[in-house]
Order: sequence, then structure tokens, then C-alpha cells
Amino acid sequence: MHDLAIIGGGPGGYVAAITGAQKGLKVLLVEKDTLGGTCLARGCIPTKSFFYDSKLFKAARTSTVLTGTQTLAIDPQKMKARKQQLVQTLSAGLESVIRSNGIKVVQGIGQLMSPGRVRIVAHDGSISLYEAHHILLATGSRPAVPSFIDVDGHLVQTTDEALDAEDIPRNLVIIGGGVIGLEMASIYLNLGSQVTIIELLPDIIMTEDHDIRRTMRQLLDRGGAAVFLNAAVQEIARQAERVAVTFKDETGGIQTLRADRLLVATGRTPVLDGIDPDQLGLATRGAFVKVNHRLETSLNGVYAIGDMVGGMMLAHKASAEAEAAVANILGADKTVKPEWIPRCIWGLAEIGAVGLTEEQARQTGRNIRTGKFPYSAGGAAMALGDTNGFTKIIGDADSGEILGVHILGEHATDLISEPVSAMIMESAVEDLYQAIRPHPTLSETVGEAARAWNNLAIHLPVFGTR
Amino acid sequence: MATEIVIPMLGITVEKGKIIEWLKNEGDPVEKGESIFVVEADKVTTEVESPASGILAKILLPEGVEVPLLTVVGVITRPGEEVPAKYLKAAAAVATTTPSGPEFAVSRPPPPAPTPVARTAEDVIRIVPAARKLAREKGLDLRTLTGTGPEGVILFKDVQTTAATVAEPSPKVSTLARRQAAKEGVFLAALQGSGVRGRVMRADVERAIRQEKAPRLGKVIPMDTMRQVIARRMSESAFNAPHIYFFTEIAMDPLLTFRQEILADFEVRYGRHLSINDFLIKAVALNILDFPILNATIRDKEILIPSDINIGLAVALPEGLIVPAIALADKAGLAEIAYQRTDLVKRAQSGKLTMAEIERGTFTISSLAQYDITQFTAIINPPQSGILTVGKTREELYLLNGNVASRKVATFGLAVDHRIIDGVVAAEFLQHLKLKLEKPTFTFLHL
Repeated sequence: MHDLAIIGGGPGGYVAAITGAQKGLKVLLVEKDTLGGTCLARGCIPTKSFFYDSKLFKAARTSTVLTGTQTLAIDPQKMKARKQQLVQTLSAGLESVIRSNGIKVVQGIGQLMSPGRVRIVAHDGSISLYEAHHILLATGSRPAVPSFIDVDGHLVQTTDEALDAEDIPRNLVIIGGGVIGLEMASIYLNLGSQVTIIELLPDIIMTEDHDIRRTMRQLLDRGGAAVFLNAAVQEIARQAERVAVTFKDETGGIQTLRADRLLVATGRTPVLDGIDPDQLGLATRGAFVKVNHRLETSLNGVYAIGDMVGGMMLAHKASAEAEAAVANILGADKTVKPEWIPRCIWGLAEIGAVGLTEEQARQTGRNIRTGKFPYSAGGAAMALGDTNGFTKIIGDADSGEILGVHILGEHATDLISEPVSAMIMESAVEDLYQAIRPHPTLSETVGEAARAWNNLAIHLPVFGTR
Repeated sequence: MATEIVIPMLGITVEKGKIIEWLKNEGDPVEKGESIFVVEADKVTTEVESPASGILAKILLPEGVEVPLLTVVGVITRPGEEVPAKYLKAAAAVATTTPSGPEFAVSRPPPPAPTPVARTAEDVIRIVPAARKLAREKGLDLRTLTGTGPEGVILFKDVQTTAATVAEPSPKVSTLARRQAAKEGVFLAALQGSGVRGRVMRADVERAIRQEKAPRLGKVIPMDTMRQVIARRMSESAFNAPHIYFFTEIAMDPLLTFRQEILADFEVRYGRHLSINDFLIKAVALNILDFPILNATIRDKEILIPSDINIGLAVALPEGLIVPAIALADKAGLAEIAYQRTDLVKRAQSGKLTMAEIERGTFTISSLAQYDITQFTAIINPPQSGILTVGKTREELYLLNGNVASRKVATFGLAVDHRIIDGVVAAEFLQHLKLKLEKPTFTFLHL
């Protein structure tokens, strides 16, 4: 009898396992594939490996100081090998950490039989049964593909296949201008592919602030990407070794694009292998498992976290929920506030964001003030050689509460952590410029944006009268 | 030229006064004769008028500080006129010493020299307005401040001194929590922090605000019309009519037996259920015929004795109490009384009584016989002059011809308006009622 059985060993499940073990629980962790889940094997980590490789390539090719860059080439097989090595190293490291915590790891598909009972089907078909006082579902998600598109893994791919590809397509169509579509587009643009993005919604990365979206669209445009918004893909056809994508554009006209490859990045759907909501009486919300603020499902003693419960489908959101769920299992009443979950995108520029967008903040009816500081006004970005970007802070003008921070540009994904800490510690915007910032660093833009929020920026000219 | 404002002479025996409220702020224009502050001396408060028209340029005495009469407490200047330097000095002085300096007070025995007074929660915290504002901004608990002003009044500089010693921003309180606390006037020092290492977070402040409101305020129930009327009439009666109370024990066996004997026949003949209350109402009405003063009402300097005897019966309702009156209870037979009582009680409970049925009462019976209440007093239902209370009928042992016997007995109480009913009359009324109830056959013979 275990205290806690966790189905899924991704960034939700393994963090829950370690947290539970730290609290003295006897933990069982079931993983069907590799520990680390999608994040490590097919998501965050592989894409970042490719992202930095592609970025290095592009930086070298466009360098004004390197010579001989005209003949520079990048080897996709070596990219893949590096990625695989990376994944392997991380997975092995993770496994040793998990085992050192005394966590029992079982390979196989975990099936939820009823509250308290888990059945594990191993890859060889053997079956084992386990009982646990509490069960945590953390099965994650997989790419969601519209029914009229058949993924063959070669001409038509999802990220699962794209991250194992050994060649770089000359031209590529990506369906979906969300986070995944944008990150993949950036990798291929950096590698020199022609990229077209077809997005059904009125804008790319619709969850982000309008300033972020506008700047990102400009960067895509300058980077040579074609972006079709309000465009609905209607048909996929294969012709020889090429794929033809027919879609209705925003004017209602029908267009067909031919490309070497089609990447489908139309979102992700929860993995419910071995979990039958109907049979179990497990409540769902759309495709996702329904949980309350304590991350409890409708079944007694069964919790669920991560991508499978919906919301932001991010590794660190799952990890945060993992900690909260374990605390709640032990009697706490913890909720993961979506406002405090940072969102990061590695695109042609990095995006780090947390909290409300300006539109959302204004909709609260509060007295909103924004402060913005461009990368171009700081020495660090100039020296680094990329001044595309800005830091934008949205705060409550009355209380100083930091409502949202949006950073676009180099190191944005790292820079966002400081505002996240500040928000969790309930700092006011003014607190952000109490800290002394090392010069010259991009972190200065956070302090300057906070100062700008109070009309006190040092490195901005004053327009009109103060 | 500047005009001094002083605490005026407030009476021959009064020596000191304190301003409990400034009605004007520094910088406000004032008119001669306009009330400018409220002074309290010997528990009497008086509004003091401005001695001149102009600008209230300087307040020299904060609220709540007791000073000798004729102390200069403020200065009025004409528009554009500077405040004379001596008053500014005086203002500084009031912050550090007692307001008895020669520059702004007539000679009086000086009050004891101020010593820093540590505050306790029970004290009324006296603090100058600017200091209070600063303390709020800094999120300081007024109770933790030490005042160095006259009689321990907390001065601006005291808050400044304390604020300087409190590290800001304190690592123990989040910025947003501090700001919310300042806005809502929550004392951070008293809060338990729920954050990392006991850090006070905004949720803690919000919880404190909720809790502070809850126990202090409790629940507010607006009085409905009935409760307002009850409240007004009860206090009117209690304050206007001096009540005197009399109690007697009445043996109930004869009446209970009598009722039992006639109950069945009565129901057959009249179709009504006869309650003990019906007998009480009748007996009281008959008794009032013998003592008409119990039916009286005071009107100015006259005593009014209505010819009708209408006996009110207090009926408890969920939201209060109502007293419909059985009309002409002296003339009515038991059947009629039973009919009226049943009807009135029923309509009282459904809120369908008429004003006339309530107002016509000339005497009231209030019974708690259903409860374990042996005896109780009641407030006379104005403008009536008497009210009879009935306790629970209980069994007791007593001596009958030297032998121990048991009987059923109830304690009856009578409250009368002593302005018009003497004690002896009340005693005789109750005595006679006792006789009537203990000899029911005789009493109700002619019915």
C-alpha cells in the first residue's frame, strides 16, 4: 500500500513524487516512456536545443565581424544527436534523483481502476496492481491534430516527429500561430527555411499582450515569414514529395500553398490512456479532467495536475500544481494562481510574461498605469547586438500592485523571474527599482520600466513637460 | 492684527477645559460668531464662537488636551497677514511642553510636567491629526507609540521617531500588505503572517479586516415597526409610570377541577374549548368591577376610568408581542370570552388584528404558565394602569389542618402605576382575585 501513486512521470508527476517523498510519503511513480515526459523528450528541452543551435547558426551567418560565413552550414543530424545526448543525460540524471528519493518507479501504462487502485500494463504486456491512499493523475498531453489531417511523420508532422527529423525543409507551412507554432517557425527561419504560418484566430499568440504580439508580428515579417491570420485550413493533399495546403484566407479567398513539409501545431489534447472518465465517473471539462481549486478531481482521493487539467500547458505550471497537490493531500489548501505563472516563448525574440495583459488589466476596472522601457535605450542590449525588445509593466496606480509584466527580447525568459518573485512577495512596482541592478545587464530594463511606470526612468528622454 | 482664540470662562467652579473637536481646520476662513471648536469641561460640552472674522491661521492646542481656561488655543489673522512669530514658537512649544507659557496663556497654576506616557489598549489614544495621518501612512500601531506631548498626547515628531526605527520596507510585511493596512487602518503589529517565515501578506490584512468588522459589529438588525412601537411604549411606561409589584399564590385545584367538570358540557353546548385563560380574563374583569381604579388611565391631571372593561391578553409572536383585548369582559359570558380569545389569538398570529382590537385594552394579563417560570414582573401596557402576570401552575406540599397535603398553586403578580394606585388598593385587588379564583363555583355561578 502506497501513500501516493502518481500516473505520469513528466514535470508534473516527478515533481509530485519528489515533493511527496520529501514529506515522508511512500510514493509510486508510473511512467510509460521516459522520465521527464513530453517536456524532456519531445517538448521544452529538445526545442530549446534546436532553438539555440539555429540561433547560433543565424547569428554567425548574419555576424558583421565573423568572416567566411557565406559558406557556413549546419548539420541537422548533429543537431539531432546533440539533442538526443542532452535528453539522455537529463533523463538519466532525473532518474537517479528520483530513485535516490526512495520513489518506486514502474514502467508501463498506468490505468486508474477506481479511487485507490492502479493497474500497470508494462510494455511486455505483464500486469501489476497497486493500491494507494491517494492517486495523482499527471498524464500530460499530446499534439492535437484536426481530423482531416493525417500525420505521416514525414511530409506532415507534429512536433513529435519534427524534433526527430534529420533534414531541414527548404520551405515549410505551419498550421497554428500559437506558442508551439511560433517556436518551430523561429527555429526553421533561423535555419534558413521559408516559413508560412496559417492561424485561425485574428492574431498569433493570442494569450499575450498586444504590444508583444505586434512586435512579434513585425519580427516575423522582417524575418521573411508569411503569416496568414483568420485563415482556415480546408484540405491537405500530397503531390509527389510535396504537400499542398488549401486554406480560406481572411478575405474569404481560397489559397493553396505547396511546401516540402507541413507542421501541425494546432494545440494539444490530454492523454487519457488507461483513464476512462465515463467508466470511472470522472468529471471532465471539455477534453480535460475537471479539478477544483485544490486540484481534486470528482473522485475521492484522486488529484490531477498539468496539461491534462487544461489551463496553461506549461511544464512549470504542472510542477507548481504538483507541489500544491501534494500539500493538499497532506491537508493544506493551496491553489496555483494563474496570474503568477510565467509564460515563456522562444521565438525570433524571447518572450517572458506574467500576469495580466494590458487589455485584461483594463477590463478589471482598476486604475491601470503602464511603464515601458525599450531594449534600445540600454547599453547591455546594444553591446549584445540585439536591441529588439522592451520591458512593459502594468500596475495598479492606486496600490502599486504589479498586475502584469511583459518582456520581449534577449533573455526575456530569464528576466521574467524577477517580476514573478516580486509579485509573489506582493511587492509594489516601486519595489522593482529599489534593487540595485548590475550594469550593463538586460535586468536594468526591468528596473527602468518600473521607474517609467512612475515617470522616473533615467535613460528615457522627457517628452513635453514633466 | 492677529486675534487670539482662548478657551472661555465656562463657569465659576470650572478651572480647566479641553477641546474635543476643532470645527475648523487651519487655513479655513472663519466668521465672527461662528462656532469654531467644541470644548468640554466638567463633562459639559460647549461650542465656542470665533472672536473675529478672518483666517484660522494657527491651531495651538490639539484636540483632547486639557488646559486651564483662557489658554490661547488658536490665532485668527486677516487674509494675507502673517502669523506672528510668537505663536509659531508657541505652536512648537505646545508640541514639547505644557501650554502654560506666558506667551499664550494667562497665568494659571501649571499642570504637571508631561512625562512620556506609554499607551495601553484601554486608553483613548490622543494624537495630533498630522501625527495620526503619518502613523497611518507608516502603518504604525498607535498603541505602540509613546507620546511626549502634554499628558502623553502623541505628536508628529513621536511618530517620526518611531517610524525611523522601524525598517522600511520591513522584511516582515509585503509592500502590498503594508499599503492595504495603511489604507484600511489595520495595525500590522497585531497580525500573524502567513507568508514565508511569518511574512505578513495581503491576505492576512484582508482577513484582519474581515475579523475586525465581524466581532465588533456583530449583526445589525433593523427594528421593524412592531419592535419600534414595543421599544417606545415599554420605555415610555417604564420611565413615566412608577411601577410597584405584588405577588400572591393562588391555589389552582378548585379552578382546574371546576373547568374539568364543565369542559365537556361546555364544548357540547357552545362548541368552544374553554381555557384557564378564559376564567382568568373573566375573573379579572369581575374584580375590576370591584376596583375600577385598576381600569384607569391618566390624562394630564385627571384620572380617566373607562366604563368598558376590555382585558388585553399578551400574545407572543416570533417577531415580538402583541396585546389584543377581549371586549367587555365583565359583561361577556365565558363562551363569548372563549370565542373572542380564540379568534383574537388566531388573528394575532396571522397579523390580522385591527388597531381598535389592540388599543381598546384597559388592563392586561400576561401569562408565562407554559414555561417553568414561577413568577415574573411586567411593564404596564400604557396608557393602562395595571398588568397581571401568571406563572406556572406547580404542585406543592402544604399544611391542611395540621396534615401535609398537596395542591396545585400558581404565583400571580400584579404591577400597578403607583401614581394613581396605592399599595393597599393593589393588595386588595390581588387578594380579591385570589378569592375569586379559589372559589370558582361561586365566582362563575351567575354565568
